[in-house]
Amino acid sequence: MSATREDVGGTPLPPGWAQPAHQPDAFEISTTTFEQRATETMARPFARRAIANATDHAAALTTARFVGIDHDALRDKARQIRAHAIANLPDYLDQWIDAAEAHGTIVHYAADESEARRIVAQICRDEAVTRVVKSKSMASEEVSLNSALEAIGIDIYETDLGEFVVQAMGDRPGHVIAPILHRTKDEVHALFSTMAGRELPNEAEALTAFARDRLRHAFLTADAGISGGNFLIAETGEVLLVTNEGNGRLTTALPKIHIALVGIEKIVPRRRDLAVLLPLLTGHGTGQQITTYVTMVAGPRREQEPDGPERMHVVLLDAGRSALLGGEFEEALHCIRCGACQNVCPVYRQVGGHAYGWVYGGPIGAVLTPLFRGQVEGGELAHATTLCGACDDVCPVKIPLHDLLLGLRRRRDEEGCVPRSEQLAFALWGQVWSRPLLYRASTAVARGSLRVIARDGVLSAKAPLLRRWTAGRDLVVGRRRS
Amino acid sequence: MTDRASFLAAIRSTPRGSDPGLLDRSVAPDAPTQLRDGEHRADRLQAEAESVSTVVHRVVATEVGATVVGVLVAAGAQRIALTEDLAPFADAVREAATTAGLSVVGYAEAASKRAQAGALDATVTGCLAAVAATGSIVTAASGAGRAGALIAPNHVCVVRDDQIVDGLHELFDGDVLAEAGSIFALQSGPSRSADIEKVLILGVHGPGNAHVVIVAPD
Repeated sequence: MSATREDVGGTPLPPGWAQPAHQPDAFEISTTTFEQRATETMARPFARRAIANATDHAAALTTARFVGIDHDALRDKARQIRAHAIANLPDYLDQWIDAAEAHGTIVHYAADESEARRIVAQICRDEAVTRVVKSKSMASEEVSLNSALEAIGIDIYETDLGEFVVQAMGDRPGHVIAPILHRTKDEVHALFSTMAGRELPNEAEALTAFARDRLRHAFLTADAGISGGNFLIAETGEVLLVTNEGNGRLTTALPKIHIALVGIEKIVPRRRDLAVLLPLLTGHGTGQQITTYVTMVAGPRREQEPDGPERMHVVLLDAGRSALLGGEFEEALHCIRCGACQNVCPVYRQVGGHAYGWVYGGPIGAVLTPLFRGQVEGGELAHATTLCGACDDVCPVKIPLHDLLLGLRRRRDEEGCVPRSEQLAFALWGQVWSRPLLYRASTAVARGSLRVIARDGVLSAKAPLLRRWTAGRDLVVGRRRS
Repeated sequence: MTDRASFLAAIRSTPRGSDPGLLDRSVAPDAPTQLRDGEHRADRLQAEAESVSTVVHRVVATEVGATVVGVLVAAGAQRIALTEDLAPFADAVREAATTAGLSVVGYAEAASKRAQAGALDATVTGCLAAVAATGSIVTAASGAGRAGALIAPNHVCVVRDDQIVDGLHELFDGDVLAEAGSIFALQSGPSRSADIEKVLILGVHGPGNAHVVIVAPD
């Protein structure tokens, strides 16, 4: 008989505890517009403040981490490693597969999201899996793995503390490495108290201890552990996992089956390349020198080893990646998912990760979403940027995000995705502002208009006509001569 | 179902991007994790480990048993497991622990039942190596197992001075990993999370209390 949820942790969880209050459409990007989603976050003052504080904090830690080091040279090396690995992707994948199979890893091939879901579901059926512990995986978010497994009756426990909260709230991660950046301690307290059936102390330590207990039982009873992979090492056939909580290592240590779902672009040629990439991934992600737990997995448990799974499955995920090879946007595949570009992006810092509508937020999200999901669903995101270039300056592998965003804007225009009214407006603007007299007249009219609708020199949120602009900010109207 | 051949063929059919070439050893990058000139490995290991909240003890070989058990008793640990890689110090630790009234098992035995491993108060492991520049211990599936160093709330790792390598380059390029088995793992300080409003909490899934005992050369 399969274990039931009630076996896990003392108090039974309320039925449907992991079911979202509002079910995001499982396999599709949000159907709302960027503006609608951004407005939702902007309407939550805590979320805005928390996102700004957390991203400031992370960006400062990253800067501090590389003081006294030739950071730029290190980034150049990292870029070189990533560019080389991606330029030779099929060869390195071939090498990785040979090495992985040699130590007993079972390798599967998912051309797209639905195939990834089918493969993992089939492994779970074949292995009679009823309960899964999962360590954080953005690839699994991409393919909406959890809902596919829940649909066949599997209990899933996200074991990263933040992801556990995200799952229980029916939310989506708000940041690549800090999933509940946008949530308050009070919200977590209310959630966990409901789950516990009693009032827990409203302190981070007690709340973490509660999650640890729940998840420890899940670790000790799960049939399978599902993880992502931070890197695939071609020469050794290893999968690398980094976590600070230790859940990644436990995921591959305790259940009898380990399944890793990994995007093909995660390949790096050699272990020694990690001496460059790991400090950058960690330094740009959290500002640490090294992540607390770095685990290199080479297949299932071997004879004479005291613990570990009987079988290890790795699902290689393409899902739009190979289509980028050799093209204008290939460099998007260099990304190592550190989240640094989110931390410095003036747009992300205001609107948070959810506004991007799919799995990835910030500049890399604005690039990957239209590339993986198409122009219709994600194309507007290339415009949800200021093109300030802060992301280029911080990227540890020097992805020219600014150029990629411009390229996506251009492609969107070429594909005729821009509304006719917008095309007309810009054509008119071009005509007027290329003629000095008309230009001066237009600015005079604009200044005059602002003066009419402003109060005491401030264009406040209450001003008519420009509400969409002023809803989140006040504008001080300039004096005639400065 | 997509098979290996068709999966790779789809990738091979795309044009190749520009290739800057693979870095060779002669242009190996200076990672931010190298030892400074004249710096003593054990000193750097101690400093880096302490900077991530590991408690470090410097001892001579004859003090290992008493030091480890002192830590366990102070932590209130009752059920403890010793992993295979503790070998040269295992007898000393077992003896001191038994004298102190602790219940001692081998990790392999504890791990034969997950619930039993999950109920441990502490584990004591050796290591495959330690990395001075990052304050990390390196354990292997063949020695400490996959979970031996993080299953319990308290962990003590015994490191011999000659096991310490300078930095990540030396670790990844050296021979030490050849005997690791199905996993090798770096571990730097206690388990941590700052997911809830950026408040740092130690001891989420792994140990909140992490000790490294550095044994001086004879």
